[in-house]
Amino acid sequence: MLEILFPLGLASFLVAILLPLFASKLTNSKTPRQASLIFTFFACIAILAFALEIILSNKSFSLLAYQIVPSFQFSFLVDRLAAFFLALVAIVSVAVAIYSVSYVEHTEHDGRKNLIVSFMNIFIVSMLLVVASFSMFSFLFFWETMALSSFLLVMVEFEKKDTQKAGIFYFVMTHLSTLFLIFAFLFIYTVTKTFDMTQIRADPIINSVAFAFLFLGFAIKAGVIPLHKWLPYAHPASPSNISALMSGVMIKIAIYGLIRFLFLLPMQTWWGILILFAGAVSALIGVIYALKEHDIKKMLAYSSIENIGIILIGIGLYVVFSVAGIEAIALLALIGALFHTLNHAIFKSLLFMATGSVVNATGTRDIEGMGGLIKRMPTTGVLFLVGAVSISALPPFNGFVSELMIFQAFFQTTVLSNPFLEVLLIVALAMFAFTSALAAACFVKAFGISFLALPRSEKSKNAKESPKLMLIGPAVLAVLCIAFGIFSLQLFGVLGFSFPLPNMLFIGALLGGFYAFIYIALREVANRRERFAETWGCGFPTQTFKMEYSASGFSEPIVTILKSIFRTQKKSERYFYDDKNVIFKDGKAEIQLINFFEERIYLPVAAVIRKISLKVNNIQRGDADLHIAYAFVTIVVFLLIIWWFA
Amino acid sequence: MDYLSLIAYGILNTLFVLLISPLFISLIKIVKAHAQKRRGPPILQTYRNLTKLLKKETIYSTNSSWIMRATPLVNIAALLVASLFVPLLVIPQPNDLVGNIILFLYLLAMAKFFMALSGLDAGSTFGGMGSSREMAISALIEPVIIVVFAALAFAFKTINLPDMFRGALASNVLVDPILILISISIFIVIIVESARAPVDNPETHLELTMIHEAMILEQSGKNLAMMEMSSAMKQLLLMGVLINVLVPWGLTSDFTAPSILISFAAFTVKAIVLAVIIGLFESSCAKSRLFRLPGLFAVALFLSFITLIIEVFA
Repeated sequence: MLEILFPLGLASFLVAILLPLFASKLTNSKTPRQASLIFTFFACIAILAFALEIILSNKSFSLLAYQIVPSFQFSFLVDRLAAFFLALVAIVSVAVAIYSVSYVEHTEHDGRKNLIVSFMNIFIVSMLLVVASFSMFSFLFFWETMALSSFLLVMVEFEKKDTQKAGIFYFVMTHLSTLFLIFAFLFIYTVTKTFDMTQIRADPIINSVAFAFLFLGFAIKAGVIPLHKWLPYAHPASPSNISALMSGVMIKIAIYGLIRFLFLLPMQTWWGILILFAGAVSALIGVIYALKEHDIKKMLAYSSIENIGIILIGIGLYVVFSVAGIEAIALLALIGALFHTLNHAIFKSLLFMATGSVVNATGTRDIEGMGGLIKRMPTTGVLFLVGAVSISALPPFNGFVSELMIFQAFFQTTVLSNPFLEVLLIVALAMFAFTSALAAACFVKAFGISFLALPRSEKSKNAKESPKLMLIGPAVLAVLCIAFGIFSLQLFGVLGFSFPLPNMLFIGALLGGFYAFIYIALREVANRRERFAETWGCGFPTQTFKMEYSASGFSEPIVTILKSIFRTQKKSERYFYDDKNVIFKDGKAEIQLINFFEERIYLPVAAVIRKISLKVNNIQRGDADLHIAYAFVTIVVFLLIIWWFA
Repeated sequence: MDYLSLIAYGILNTLFVLLISPLFISLIKIVKAHAQKRRGPPILQTYRNLTKLLKKETIYSTNSSWIMRATPLVNIAALLVASLFVPLLVIPQPNDLVGNIILFLYLLAMAKFFMALSGLDAGSTFGGMGSSREMAISALIEPVIIVVFAALAFAFKTINLPDMFRGALASNVLVDPILILISISIFIVIIVESARAPVDNPETHLELTMIHEAMILEQSGKNLAMMEMSSAMKQLLLMGVLINVLVPWGLTSDFTAPSILISFAAFTVKAIVLAVIIGLFESSCAKSRLFRLPGLFAVALFLSFITLIIEVFA
């Protein structure tokens, strides 16, 4: 079975990629792209079956696909870790494929619908192949394919100014990421003389340098603060099914890369501390920014940064405990991080898809223009709520279990018997706790303002529920959110791990039991009469949406308390009729939020690079022969250098 | 594992929590009234209020959705499960079903999450205000809670609440200085989580200072009874954690009638003392401005950090 499923899945993807591309020349009907998505669906199922078989049997699968020269080869090796990430990509892609069948039809330009489907398939398959790659060469090749295909998908609505800005940010950042990875791989190559990943040998200094480059490369792709800036631009700009894939899956591929190389390189404690604090800072700052955001997709993007932070906290703990030789807790932290990776992939894609439906129905991404949607889009509302509850880590949902595992690893810090390290870990723990509570506040706001109470705009008032397929896609993930939470202990048991975790099946049953019991008891004992009345409108004859708490009002206390982080500046000017400043004439007040990272880090760096490139511009005249001459000289110089050293 | 005795423990503990938790709501009111030279309500007033609410009809806002109906049930269910995690009379045999301290905290968080949603559901200004403030305050106090509980976990080398109580009971140190530091932080947590001065003002319904009361303003009838009951239970459970960690005397592991009776009497006396302290503390301070609260929380966080650093270096 194993030998067939993987190539079968890939072949099916190939059909799914080519079909809409060729069909768009002939016809503009939706049949080819729907057929293509059906192929995507079955390809994902095949890959999922393949991955599950490897995960359960703990075997590995290898395949040499194509060899250019011996060190530049496309070779694949799927072990349990890779299979786990294959499964993750496949699960989310299945749901996104179902959702996309209806969603793609909402795209404004007919000609782009086929392209979206085709590129989406390239994007999915490149993510799968990055994970399956065994040589650094094929890893980089598919990494770059993934970057380019996702860039094109971000640029679907390329006429818009926002999209262009997002595109530039994404393009530059993602290539910085690739650049750092190339540096790292070359460093490793200087020692091992091969691009074969398994041949990495121990050499502390080279390894540390290589790790630093690898971490930078993966951190950019994962959106670790302060390297995150592309994420909140790219996610809102791209279609929602693509945001679901980017946020749910693509940034997890960077996590895969990090874990893969941590397994290969001999780890050191400072790596763990670096990862831990990069994670803690990302988590905290990410959620603080998410809380302020009113653009719901931007908010979800910042929340992804937060969750990447949580995953990194788990990985950092793994490194710290593992170097200290405490294997049991290291494993708990690592599996916690991996489980959170899977869970975040599931609930974030779910949230992005539900959000996509809402944005389609209301025509706005601003939650101040939504409201009352739970009555107009009841199923989408429930789906979004499941996602929100999971991401806020409430029991018995899946997000809780993975955060619980990381908390439990933290709570056993004292076994390290290194006081300074322990104090550092406790600081990280406090940051993690703060993050987790702020995330709950953030999603109370997201769900409460957009789905509850009165509609805040005409469009929101007339919103209609989405077509069935746009509900089934996210519903698959919503079911998984609950199942992975309730059956977490049993799931780990099947995989051969035993952790001292509470049995969520028991807790879930208790919660459900008490809920039902109280419900029935109240029906029997209490007064059953019900009456509907209008909410008190503070004395006004009818209550309007303007009396509701707004999104900015909701986050105001936290924004004020954390004003040093938001760098808010409140300005007010008042003008009076008289010179004693008594009779008020006019005035204005404004709150300014500084875009700290962009204004203080990104743009200054960009300005320096721009200066340099203007200088370099002088020697680039655009003559073909001159450039050929440059290339020729460069090659000669390189050959001379090689000859000199050899 | 002896499931029968576990079930017996569960029933006993839950019933005890349900029975006794409203008592302390009225008791604290009486203490505060006396501090102000008033007489205060009768001791059984909270029970009367609850039965009165059950007899009343339930009024829903036309704006509200099923969230409004589900919240009281989610709240009471979460608190009932949480009440299994804090043994007040008898410590159950070691088991891996109940007692995880983080799960306990997140059950409380779950109740709060839905309460905040229901605050927004009716579309009233007050509810939204309450939700917004409650979530802000609970976010700020969360690091304190987690660090305090981490300190407890380090002190007793377990993350299971009943095991902590067992450890506290078995300890032959009369009063451990670390536990005193932890207790001060837990006391602040109780004040914050049960919405008391200086954080919130449980007396007022229509002042702009209100937080918790504003959130449940749109609840009525049996639903309001459930909300009131769950906040009474939450207060008792947190009090129980403090009491059983600092002064676990009287708490027992035997499932026999005499020891349960002793434990019952001991716990009630200790809880009454704690409730009086809470009442006096509340009377002695004014409600502070919302944006002054981070200062109070910083003190609590600082204390719990000190505790942890002492533990780590000791």
